[in-house]
Amino acid sequence: MRLSRILVPLSGAAVDTDVVKLAVDLARPSRAKIFGVHVIEVRWNVPLDAVLEPELDRGEEVLANATKAAEQAGGHLETELLQAREAAAAIIDTAREKDCDLILVGMTYRRRLGRTYVSRTVEDVYLGAQCAVLAYRQEEPST
Amino acid sequence: MLWPLAEDDPRQRESSASDAASSIEERRTIAGRMPGDRVVRIVRPPEFRRGHGGIFVATPEATKADTAAGRVYERMRRILFGRPIASEAEMGERLSIPTGLGVLATDNISSSAYATEEAMRILALAGTGALVLTMPISLAIVTVLAIVVLSQTQVIRTYPGGGGSYAVAKNELGTIPGLIVAAALLIDYVLTVAVSTAAGVDAIGSFVQPVYEHRVEWGLALILLLAIGNLRGVREAGLIFSAPTYVYLVSIGGLIAYGVLRILAGDAPPALSPPTPFPAEGQESLTGLLGVFLILRAFASGSVALTGAEAVANGTPSLRPPEARSGTITVLLMGSLFGVVFLGITFLATRLGAVPDVKEQETLMSVVVRSLVGTGPFYYLIQISTSILLVLAANTGFTGFPRLASVLADDRFMPRQFAFRGERLAFSVGIVALAVIAAFVLSAFGGSVTNLIPLYTIGVFLAFTLAQTGLVRRWQRLRERGWWWRTGLNGLGAVATSITLVVVAVTKFEGGAWMVLVTLPLLVWLLFGINKHYRSVSDALVLEDPELPLPRPLPPIVVVPVARLDRSAVQAIAFAASISPHVRVVHIATSEDSAREFDRRWERFGGRLLSDGREIPLDIIESPYRSLLQPLLKYIDRVDQRDPRPITVVLAEFVPHHWWEFILHSQTAFRLKAALLFRPNTIVIDVPYHFRDPGELSHAHSEKVPH
Repeated sequence: MRLSRILVPLSGAAVDTDVVKLAVDLARPSRAKIFGVHVIEVRWNVPLDAVLEPELDRGEEVLANATKAAEQAGGHLETELLQAREAAAAIIDTAREKDCDLILVGMTYRRRLGRTYVSRTVEDVYLGAQCAVLAYRQEEPST
Repeated sequence: MLWPLAEDDPRQRESSASDAASSIEERRTIAGRMPGDRVVRIVRPPEFRRGHGGIFVATPEATKADTAAGRVYERMRRILFGRPIASEAEMGERLSIPTGLGVLATDNISSSAYATEEAMRILALAGTGALVLTMPISLAIVTVLAIVVLSQTQVIRTYPGGGGSYAVAKNELGTIPGLIVAAALLIDYVLTVAVSTAAGVDAIGSFVQPVYEHRVEWGLALILLLAIGNLRGVREAGLIFSAPTYVYLVSIGGLIAYGVLRILAGDAPPALSPPTPFPAEGQESLTGLLGVFLILRAFASGSVALTGAEAVANGTPSLRPPEARSGTITVLLMGSLFGVVFLGITFLATRLGAVPDVKEQETLMSVVVRSLVGTGPFYYLIQISTSILLVLAANTGFTGFPRLASVLADDRFMPRQFAFRGERLAFSVGIVALAVIAAFVLSAFGGSVTNLIPLYTIGVFLAFTLAQTGLVRRWQRLRERGWWWRTGLNGLGAVATSITLVVVAVTKFEGGAWMVLVTLPLLVWLLFGINKHYRSVSDALVLEDPELPLPRPLPPIVVVPVARLDRSAVQAIAFAASISPHVRVVHIATSEDSAREFDRRWERFGGRLLSDGREIPLDIIESPYRSLLQPLLKYIDRVDQRDPRPITVVLAEFVPHHWWEFILHSQTAFRLKAALLFRPNTIVIDVPYHFRDPGELSHAHSEKVPH
């Protein structure tokens, strides 16, 4: 599969760095463009275009860290900050708008009720995206 | 009209939420794939990024030039000075102790290369037999240095924020003593650069004759090189400049060890003679009062070795934290290394019987090395490393002067520009100022170390004395733990350095020290004057009650000088009408015919009527002497006299496409702006009209512009 545009949703979790590095590795052979997006989920009782200073600050930090990780891995990341009611829908729409051929989502290793837990956003992106989706799950921490 | 009209203003269509957002950040709402899905994309321009708390931070993109000439200039700057460093990277620019030693201690350590010679040159006036006194004088100098170094550790401990002796004197003794110290140190840093470069050129001139013949030019070139190196930033300058310090220390250490071993083994070779040695019989006597004076002069000349001892205390903030600890270790290392090298060279020179050169054609160091190891590779290693170190000692001046100047600028005793850090976090204005002044001094003294030395050291001893006295006062006032031994140490330092100061001032007075003693009070007066100005400006500008609402001035009287009724003039008149209903247009005509012609055009001009139906008044002044500026200024004076409100002059300025096209236009607006700059009660607004290509112009003309 020859990739030309990869979308990497970034949540600010530790797995972000690994996902960005993986995206750089995947993009290298075909010189694909990598887009990093952070979605600020806006509650229903707040206008969608409200200025949410703490969330914006955090979002900028997440994107700055991801950009740095991409540069360290020898790649380049174009970043974008979004506000939406649901992160998954915004990620799917952005991938469609940017004509991406892959969404590379990172999953933090979490267990709930004895099972590995997949977040709702990851699940919705997996099920709803039109392009290919690759989920990278963080390795199980050694106990 | 080239500007959007009020009804077309896109800002009026923005939503309320967007009003809360910054004007830098754009928010675009995009419909999603599913019904009802919407995403707000926050678009940030590449020139700015969002920092914490809603503050925007300019990125490197924001500093990029837009024009081709600007980009070429930027590239040249990058090659010379390197890439800009962000303020947050300041900590990474700090110096480690080894690098700090190489940067801040080079002045002091390098003095060891010529201090012995300077003392010997005075003693040799009484004949070469008097040179036996060199070692006792050197021991006295090292004793004073030890006291100064220990006292400096107290300065560093008390004022790790920098400023060194200036900070101590200002805080403990008062503003004037502080300024005396500052002025003395500033003079001394200039002389450090001049003396060090001259001494470095001399060292190379000892074995390369053409360098000796053009020593001023070589000195100036070295000052330029050092200035560029320092403009690249303290850390980079440190990395470049600290290596030669260690090469010098290792090679000179090896030479001293080799020489001492040969002397102990009874295998010491006799000293070789320089090209023009001092004669065995001197012109002056060593007996009586004159003899005492000669010995004191030798001590004063050798005391040049103590210069640079204050540089560490002044530059402590450039060291890695904990700054006080780093500074203390650096100053102690500096003193120890200097003592060993200085006494070692003096020992070798006196035991071998080396005599200095009358014409400064060969340095004493060269004579000693040549006598011990010949003119082999080791000779060249020592000569080259010495000359490089001597030149780099000037770097201490480049580290100290800008930093002290920045502290003074922060305290409003020097122009504020000295406090600004350049793109490489270096105090660029201070570096450039120092380079210019030092180059002037070096040229004025013909690049001669001996001519410059009498000016040197007075400042540094004055600074030491006042700083030590200040610390004594501090310990007495605070009575902290250990105050009594600190008082004793700094008291001893104050006494030792004040005695040295008197000796240096008296013995070097005729030789040129008087110049420093004259310059010093003038500089203090200048620094005080600058502070007085800043204080008066600050008093005039201060907001007494920050909670007061914004004042609401009456709409101003607006005067629009119009030379020709063209698009540029129309744009200026339209703008004037938008800020006030009291607009007047004035035209200066050079003949009655042109006045009539302008009046006719004005009558046809639809824009002379305001929206409320009133007509913009026009005043036409005929200037039979063809002077445009003066009648216009007199007209503005008359209008201003009739109304207390500030007069606002709106200037229509035509801006050509290329810079060279400026010479094809009279630039009256530019001249008028310059003439009105210092006129009180006058606001000048420039409305530029940028030249556009003919196609675009005709399109704009057909659509909007009345003409």
